[in-house]
Amino acid sequence: MHDGTGRIVVQNLTKQFGPVAAVQNLSFTVEPGSVTGFLGPNGAGKTTTLRMLLGLVTPTAGTGLINGRPFSHLGNPARVVGAVLEAQGFHPKRTARNHLLVYAAAIGVPDSRADQVLQLVGLGAAGDRKAGGFSLGMKQRLALATALLGDPQVLVLDEPANGLDPEGIAWLRTFLQSYARGGRTVLISSHLLAEVEQTVDQVVIISRGQTMYHGPLDHLRDQQQARVLVQPSDTGALVAALREDGVGAIEQLPDGRIAISGVTAKQVADIALKAGVSIYGIQEEKADLERLFFQLTNGQYAAPGQYAQPVAYQQPGYQQPYQQQPGYQQPYQQQPGYQTPPQPFQQQPYQQPPAGYQQQYQQPPQDQPGYQPPPPGSQPPPQDNPYGPQQGQGGLGGGA
Amino acid sequence: MGNLIKSEFRKTTSTGLWWGLMIPTVLLAFGWALGTGAIFKTITDFMSSSEAEELTTLLGVDASQWQMSVFGMARSINVATIFPMIFGGLAIANEINRKTITTTFLTAPNRVSALTAKMIVYILWGAIFGVVIVASVSIGIAITSDSGSLPDVGGWLALAGVGVLSSILMTMFGVGVGALMTSVVGTTVVLLLYMLIVENGIQLVLASQGLPEIIGFLPNGAVNGLTGSVASSLFVANAGVVPEDLVEGLRAIGGALGAFDWWLSGLIFLVWTALFFLGGWAATQRKDIT
Repeated sequence: MHDGTGRIVVQNLTKQFGPVAAVQNLSFTVEPGSVTGFLGPNGAGKTTTLRMLLGLVTPTAGTGLINGRPFSHLGNPARVVGAVLEAQGFHPKRTARNHLLVYAAAIGVPDSRADQVLQLVGLGAAGDRKAGGFSLGMKQRLALATALLGDPQVLVLDEPANGLDPEGIAWLRTFLQSYARGGRTVLISSHLLAEVEQTVDQVVIISRGQTMYHGPLDHLRDQQQARVLVQPSDTGALVAALREDGVGAIEQLPDGRIAISGVTAKQVADIALKAGVSIYGIQEEKADLERLFFQLTNGQYAAPGQYAQPVAYQQPGYQQPYQQQPGYQQPYQQQPGYQTPPQPFQQQPYQQPPAGYQQQYQQPPQDQPGYQPPPPGSQPPPQDNPYGPQQGQGGLGGGA
Repeated sequence: MGNLIKSEFRKTTSTGLWWGLMIPTVLLAFGWALGTGAIFKTITDFMSSSEAEELTTLLGVDASQWQMSVFGMARSINVATIFPMIFGGLAIANEINRKTITTTFLTAPNRVSALTAKMIVYILWGAIFGVVIVASVSIGIAITSDSGSLPDVGGWLALAGVGVLSSILMTMFGVGVGALMTSVVGTTVVLLLYMLIVENGIQLVLASQGLPEIIGFLPNGAVNGLTGSVASSLFVANAGVVPEDLVEGLRAIGGALGAFDWWLSGLIFLVWTALFFLGGWAATQRKDIT
């Protein structure tokens, strides 16, 4: 009935719920032998995708295949794929063992399998209790036990960590990894990268029903490009010097600093020295994985500012950062789309630092935040809404 | 398919719903049988008494031959089949409400087989309820009726047969309505309201407007006709001389006013059942389980 590969293939899946496009042209492949994380913010279409894959929701277009077959052609599907879904139900008056016996009969496995899986998920002592009295964590375990009844080759779990205590999460992590190491396929969805970061090897990140990233988690980690945040005495001069040196990835931050990607702090300092520009503050910044995830899935519903992120590099939609920054007459005149600055550059006190500016900076003008050089090694100041008003739904995921 | 049927059957026996509905079924069937048996016994006694002698002589009937109890049985069976109907109504509505339908569909080769297994199991449950109802009614009617007014074995078997049949059909009717409504409360309320109040009102209006023929086409009228027609033909067949004018009245007593022959009534109700059952099936078949 099926090819037995354990591969999950999602091809151009689309689901339209009335006017709402829950999933749009989604494609990815999940290979056996690894735990794949299926990530996206709430409402990104994860659950709908999984339910389409499992034949519970009819796609508007596209297909979801397990072992090369749609779910309805798997024969005895629970022998091939076991699923733990968020809204999976139990009759509150039915005992855990009876619940499993019902579905053991449907799958055609012996009744003894019910007790086996109860033991496996740590519910051995709760078999005669009614599911209605179970905690959320116990229900998750019972749902997993149900999924394991048919000893399936593919395991699909929707937000399985919900309701589990830390011990339960640690147990689940070990369990899923050993399950995958046995050559089986594990697909696990979550809206928190941190929650599954230690469990998964591969990730599929979706936002607004579309794939944002698909590949090994390690590659994603490698993409975390460092950038240097620097506070020069003469921004224009430093930018010019950097461009001369072939450094193009320069970006103006709203707090007056500039961010340079693809260089080390040492290189920037050397260039600044050659150009005769003083450096008041310099630091290297590395985006963490969670921030990268944010960036990939950004601004799905949020008003600008809530999800907008301070890191904007790697974003194809970010061609003209300077255009949005007022007051950069000199060095950026060649920039396409340049607009008349609403505010003369001269007002920037950086241009001609007067003697004794150190003292002056200790009392920075109120309309110019961020002048104080950050203490060494500190994080950049919190920027809740660096690009909010201009950016809207910017970023890789923006409007895509 | 055997596995799925076993699974569906386990589903019904592993919660308390079946006996929770079986208890009132038995009580209602038994109680109605006791009551109707007593009422018809009083009528028969009166008709056989010396005071009514003139009347019976005038009509040329022998009330001691009247098997009035068959009407009591038919009425009691009709009332008690409300419960298997509710039991059927909760079959799919409950699964959708509890979201167990997700696992049901995940463990079945396809929805057609899952729903077919459910249908077979609920036909079986309809029959179980039917047998229990017929047994309770028979015991109740036997206690309060004269032995002379009880049907013979053939008559009893005929009534028992249509009783079980109507219980099965009522269960299927419930399954269909439940699958269409998908709400436990909604299904229960609609089924009870319609069967107990709405259609009785419609029947009253139709009867008063001289259109009793239409009653036989309505769901409750048809299912009542199933047992009521058998009861009245049993009565007429054994009562000796029955004036033409009385037959219509007897059918009304049996709950079969305006109803057709038992097989035609059964067929009409089968159409209603099929309509709702297939509608509910189609809805569940295509439903997005979210």
